[in-house]
Amino acid sequence: MTTPATAAPAIRASGLRRSFGDTLAVADLDLEVGEGAVFGLLGPDGAGKSTLIRMLATVLRPDGGEASVFGHSVTTQAALVTPRIGYMSQRFSMYPDLSVAENMDFFATIRGVSKADRRIRSASLLEGMGLAEFTKRQAQHLSGGMKQKLMLATTLMHEPDLLLLDEPTTGVDPVSRREFWRILAGLHRAGKTVLVATPYMDEAERCTQIAFLDSGRIKQFGTPDEIKARVPGRLVEVSATYPRAALAAVQGVPGVESAHLLGDVVRVLWSGAAQPEQALGAALAAAGVDGAGTREVAPDMETVFAYLAGTVAEPHEAAPSGTGSFAS
Amino acid sequence: MRQAMIRIGAIVRKEFRHLGRDPRMLLAVVITPVIQLLLFAYAISFDVDHVATIVIDFDKSPASQRYLQQYEGSPFFQVVAHGSSLADVDDAFDHNTARVAIVIPSGFSRTLASDAAAQVSVLIDGSEPNAAKISQAYSVALNQLYGQQLTRDWADAQGLDLSSFGLLQPQIRTWYNPERRSSDFLIPGLMVVIIAIVTVQQTAVTLVRERDLGTQEQLEVSPMRRIELMVGKLLPWTLIAFLDVALITGLGRILFNVPLRGDFWALAVGAALFVFASLGMGLLISAIAPTMDTANIMALLIAFLPSFLLSGFAFALDQIPVFLQWISYAFPARYMVTISRGVFLKGSGFAELWPEMVSLVVYALVMLVISSVLYGRRSRA
Repeated sequence: MTTPATAAPAIRASGLRRSFGDTLAVADLDLEVGEGAVFGLLGPDGAGKSTLIRMLATVLRPDGGEASVFGHSVTTQAALVTPRIGYMSQRFSMYPDLSVAENMDFFATIRGVSKADRRIRSASLLEGMGLAEFTKRQAQHLSGGMKQKLMLATTLMHEPDLLLLDEPTTGVDPVSRREFWRILAGLHRAGKTVLVATPYMDEAERCTQIAFLDSGRIKQFGTPDEIKARVPGRLVEVSATYPRAALAAVQGVPGVESAHLLGDVVRVLWSGAAQPEQALGAALAAAGVDGAGTREVAPDMETVFAYLAGTVAEPHEAAPSGTGSFAS
Repeated sequence: MRQAMIRIGAIVRKEFRHLGRDPRMLLAVVITPVIQLLLFAYAISFDVDHVATIVIDFDKSPASQRYLQQYEGSPFFQVVAHGSSLADVDDAFDHNTARVAIVIPSGFSRTLASDAAAQVSVLIDGSEPNAAKISQAYSVALNQLYGQQLTRDWADAQGLDLSSFGLLQPQIRTWYNPERRSSDFLIPGLMVVIIAIVTVQQTAVTLVRERDLGTQEQLEVSPMRRIELMVGKLLPWTLIAFLDVALITGLGRILFNVPLRGDFWALAVGAALFVFASLGMGLLISAIAPTMDTANIMALLIAFLPSFLLSGFAFALDQIPVFLQWISYAFPARYMVTISRGVFLKGSGFAELWPEMVSLVVYALVMLVISSVLYGRRSRA
C-alpha cells in the first residue's frame, strides 16, 4: 500500500531520542513513513506518541538522533519543514474567544495563505466538514467533535502535504470519530500523508501502516494484516451462563495460548492443531459449564496487541530486533 | 518583508479582537485608569487645609481674642469649636472632630504686658503625620507673625521707627507648584504608575496565555518569526498605553487644572520609551512565569509596587534609604516620573530630560534582549 516515492520519504527518523528529566519519552527510535501513507501511531498514554509528533512538527528539540520531513531536517531546516506540515496538537489549541471563521483566517494568514485562497479554502473546508453553519460561533462554544474538526480544517488551510495529528479523536463521541476518519480517508485519497496518533486500537484498522509504541520504543510495525498475522492461531469466543467458570475450564487446555474475559465472553487464542470448537467443547463439558458455546471470530487489533504486548514486549524489551524490524 | 507585515497585522487584529470580546479586559485598560486617577487624585491628597481646630481660651482677654483671630482668619485652620476645658481636647481628638487644639492659658495678656514670652499650647493629633507636620509648621509661622505684629505694635507705642531698623523678612517661594497643590505633583506621577500597571500586566499575561491555550505551538509551526510576534503583541498595547496617557493628561488638565508647561513631544517620546521598557519587563515576566496566576502576581509586584514606592511618585527618592535608592534604578518608573514632572511642572523638554530618555532606551533594549532569549529558550525546552 505504501509506495515509497523516488524522493525522500515523508518522514525519516533515526536514533531519535528525547527525555524529560529522568523519563525517557522517546528512546533511540527509527522510523520511516512513505508518502501517501495513513500511518497509525498506537500506544497507551505516556508511550511517547506526543513527544515523537512534536519533534517531527519542529516544536520540540530532540536530545539526540536525527529526523527529517520530506528530506529536510526538523532541527536545522525547520523553516523548510513547517510550510509542508499541518500539526494538530492533542489539546484544543485555537483561540476560544474567536469565531470558527476568525480562527481559520488568523492561522491561515500567519501561514502565508493569500486572502483569495483563504476565502475559497475555508468555504470548501467548512462545507466538507459540516461546520458551515457555525462559522460565526466562538470556538469555546463548539462541541468536542466540532472543535476537533475546526482544528483539522485550520490545519488544512495552507494545504500541507503531511498531517501530524496527535490523538485527534480522543474524547470525541463515536459518531464524530467515524466522521473524522471519513475525512482522513478523503485526504488519503487526495494523496496526503497522514501520521495519526491514537490510543484506540480499533482505529488502527483504518491505517495503511501502524506502529505500536510503548515506553518510547516501537514494539510492532507493519500493515494491519501483517501485524495480525504475527498472532499464531485463531481467535475463539466462548460464551457461557457463567463466563468465569468457562474461563477456568479452558485455561490449561493444550492448544490454548491465552484466554481472557471480554465483557461476558471468554476470548481464547487457539494454536492447537485440532479444531478449537471440538477441543474446547470437550473441556467445557468435562468441567460441567452450563450453556457453553464456541464461535471463531476474526482477530481485532485490541486482542492482537494484548497478545503481542504480553508475549513479545517483555522478553524482547532490550533486544535490538525491537528497533530493527520496522523499517519497511 | 511584506509577508512579515501581513503576519504582524494579523496578530494586531487578533489582539484587538480578544480585547473586544473580553469586557473585563476592556474595563481594565480604559476604565480602571480613569477610576484610579480619580481615586488617587482625590484620596491621596497631600494638601492640608481647613484643618479642624478647637480653641480654648482660658485668658478671655482682648489680647487672646486678637491672637485667636489669626487662626480664624487663616484658610489653613478652621476653628470648629470653642472648648472650656482640656477634657474637650481629648474628646475632640477621640471623635476626630478636630486635629489641632490651641490652648491659651490664663495670664496670657498679663505675661505679654510684662514683656515676657507668653506661652500658648498647640496640641496636634499625630495619628496623621503629614497633616501633623504641616499643622505644626503653620502654627509656628502664625506665632512668629503674631510676634512680629506685637513687636511692631510695641515700637509704634514707643514712637520708634522700625523701617530703618531692618527686620528680617524671609520670602519663601515654592517654584513650579507655587500653591503646592498635591494634584499637580501627583497626577504626572500617577500617569506613570497607571501606564506601568496596564502595560506590564497585559504583556505579562498575553504571552503566557498563548502558551496556556496551546496556540503558541501553532504559531511556532508558522513561518512567523518570534520578533514579529513580539511586535504584533506590543503594538496594540502601545496604542492603548498612549490612549491612557492622553486620557490622564486630559482629565488632569480639565478636572485638576494640572499645568502642561513643557514640550508635549518630550512627554510623548518619554511615554513611548517608558511603554517599551515596561512591555519589555512584561515580556520578561511571561518568559519566566509558568502560569497566568504567577504572571499576574509577578506583574503586580514588579509593576505596581516599585513604580508606586520607588519612583519618586509617593516618596522623594533622596528621602528613602540608600539601598532602596539603588534598587529604584532597576525600574523604569523613576526615569519616567522625572520626565513626566519635568514636562508638566518644570516646562522641561528634550534638552533637560535626555539622560532619562537614554536610560529608558537602554533599559528597554536590555529587557527585550533578555526576555527574547529566555522566551526562546523556554518555548522549545
